Amino acid sequence: MSDKHNAHDSEGNSEPISRRKVLAWLTSMGILGSGIVTLFSNLVFIKPRATYGQPSRFAIGTPNEFPPGTRIALGAQKVAVVREGNKMAAISITCTHLGCIVGVAETGFACPCHGSRFDQDGNVTGGPAPKPLPWFELSLAPNGQLEVDKSKQITAGKWFTV
Amino acid sequence: MVYSMSENKQKNSFFSVIKDFPAAVWSSVFRHNLPHTDLGRSQTSFTNFFLHIHPVKVHKHTLKPWFTMGLGLISLFLFLILTVTGVLLMFYYVPSTTQAYDRMLDLRGSVAFGVFLRNMHRWSAHGMVAAVFLHMCRVFFTGSYKKPREFNWVIGVLLFLVTLFLSFTGYLLPWDQLAFWAITVGTAIAGYAPVVGDQMRFILLGDTTVGQEALLRFYVLHVAVLPLVAAGLIAIHFWRIRKDGGMSRPADADVIETNGAAPVETEAIPAAAPVMAMAAAGNGGIDFIEKRRYGVQGLVRGPFTKVGNVPDNSVYSYPNLLLAELFVFILTVLGVLVISFFFNAPLEEAVNVLHPPNPAKAPWYFLGLQEMVSYSAFWGGVGVPGIEVLILLLVPYIDRGQKGVGKWFAKERLLANTLFMTFVVVNIVLIIIGTFFRGQNWEFVSPF
Ligand code: HEM
Ligand code: FES
Repeated sequence: MSDKHNAHDSEGNSEPISRRKVLAWLTSMGILGSGIVTLFSNLVFIKPRATYGQPSRFAIGTPNEFPPGTRIALGAQKVAVVREGNKMAAISITCTHLGCIVGVAETGFACPCHGSRFDQDGNVTGGPAPKPLPWFELSLAPNGQLEVDKSKQITAGKWFTV
Repeated sequence: MVYSMSENKQKNSFFSVIKDFPAAVWSSVFRHNLPHTDLGRSQTSFTNFFLHIHPVKVHKHTLKPWFTMGLGLISLFLFLILTVTGVLLMFYYVPSTTQAYDRMLDLRGSVAFGVFLRNMHRWSAHGMVAAVFLHMCRVFFTGSYKKPREFNWVIGVLLFLVTLFLSFTGYLLPWDQLAFWAITVGTAIAGYAPVVGDQMRFILLGDTTVGQEALLRFYVLHVAVLPLVAAGLIAIHFWRIRKDGGMSRPADADVIETNGAAPVETEAIPAAAPVMAMAAAGNGGIDFIEKRRYGVQGLVRGPFTKVGNVPDNSVYSYPNLLLAELFVFILTVLGVLVISFFFNAPLEEAVNVLHPPNPAKAPWYFLGLQEMVSYSAFWGGVGVPGIEVLILLLVPYIDRGQKGVGKWFAKERLLANTLFMTFVVVNIVLIIIGTFFRGQNWEFVSPF
């Protein structure tokens, strides 16, 4: 092929040049296209399909294990379980600022990283946190276990009655 | 090249082959003896693989210690120390959440020189961040990013970012409390980027939280991807220095009479022949002739420049530049060795995902960022740094005056230098506040 081109060129014929231009254009587009496809497939590759961390829905125990007045943090699951009388709630203990784990105290929550503070219901009372701590849906499974579903956020103050 | 082989014409008797064997091997490896003539000095830079990165001659101004302060070299040497010590550490390190921390303890207990290597790696990493930053300041305050060096400044800004990112990814590897929480905070900052933030964070961590996937990803980035990117950028950086005519220098650093004195041929002229062949391929020649500049790049750029026929403001790279580099190298290694001997790299308790240390602090070079983040996560972590990086990248294209190049704090550049100094001081003050004035819950405390 290239022999042909050369022959034409030396005759000063402009037709093969334009054919060459078309080929060059097609080749560039081909390379560009495969570049984009490669980039995209690498992105798809690098983004995990399955994660190995905590499942979003998990059991935390029976209601009796949390007597009234309880405010405890479940570390592995990163929720605080709160019980007042027979009202219960599961509140996130992941700081809404930058993801540190907030400390649980009688008066609310405090973040050690940049000083955000939250009241007992998780509303921001100080510091840089932009949002209140989310509440997660709490339910009672048929086997008597309380279940938290971290994929379902509910409005703060919506207690679960046991 | 050709000159050295022409001597021996005797017959190759068996005996002479044996007798000449060591010399033959030696001269096949080292083509020249240590040079004693200017010709030899030029050839050293040309024919030696490790030296050919140098120009044959450098401008005297380049060698003035106060001008560059050797900061770029220090950065390079720290990078080399990091590569060597890093590869050695890799022999004992396992990027697993259950093993990484124990391996850190093993470095203390059962690996010969383990602690010392780790110290060297850690302190060099800190040192490299500082050196790269100071190098950037030097380039700015001497106006050295001006035409034709604009793009090399851009490469430099990228190198600075890669250096920070290398440190950041390395920081997670010991898997101690400090590591875990610094990375938790750091990646959360990425999550605040508009639109793509959450995706970016997820891809960086390989999960929704910092865990095994994140450790593995950071490890791969730290030991393979980022060092390669850095090495590539460094190569371009150095190549550009040569192509841009060597170090910047003030216009009056090489006042050269152009009164047409006939070129004086010297013994070094044969060495210029291959150079001229190369120059034919380049396109910077014309520019060079017009200005009658004779720079680091002089030989390769100017087809008519021959060593020795221009009133000389330059000296041979061998040995002048080489010795200067060696000196900086020895100082750098010495500094790292001494510091690593007297101070141990910190290692806190093993990770406890429930209890962040209070206060949880990032490494010092990110404390300015963390301080800003404590006011507003978006503006402190993404908005302001993003704008800062953008402005840094654009600096040479915004500030285009040609005055005051190659001089520290030139009068002509008062405005630019003042602005940059403000940027530097603000960041240093933020870092100082974050380091010394923040206590429990990031509350303001007085260190006094
Ligand atoms: C070039 C710039 C580099 C910087 C700024 C840097 C920075 C760091 C930092 C801050 C740590 C944590 C050190 C510690 O806590 O002890 C680290 C660890 C580590 N780095 Fe690098 N590093 C660099 C290059 C490399 C290279 C080139 C390699 C290997 C090819 C490497 C391999 C490692 C390994 C295996 C560790 C884990 C051991 C440890 O934490 O002590 N590093 N790095
Ligand atoms: S992460 Fe809680 S205040 Fe920043």
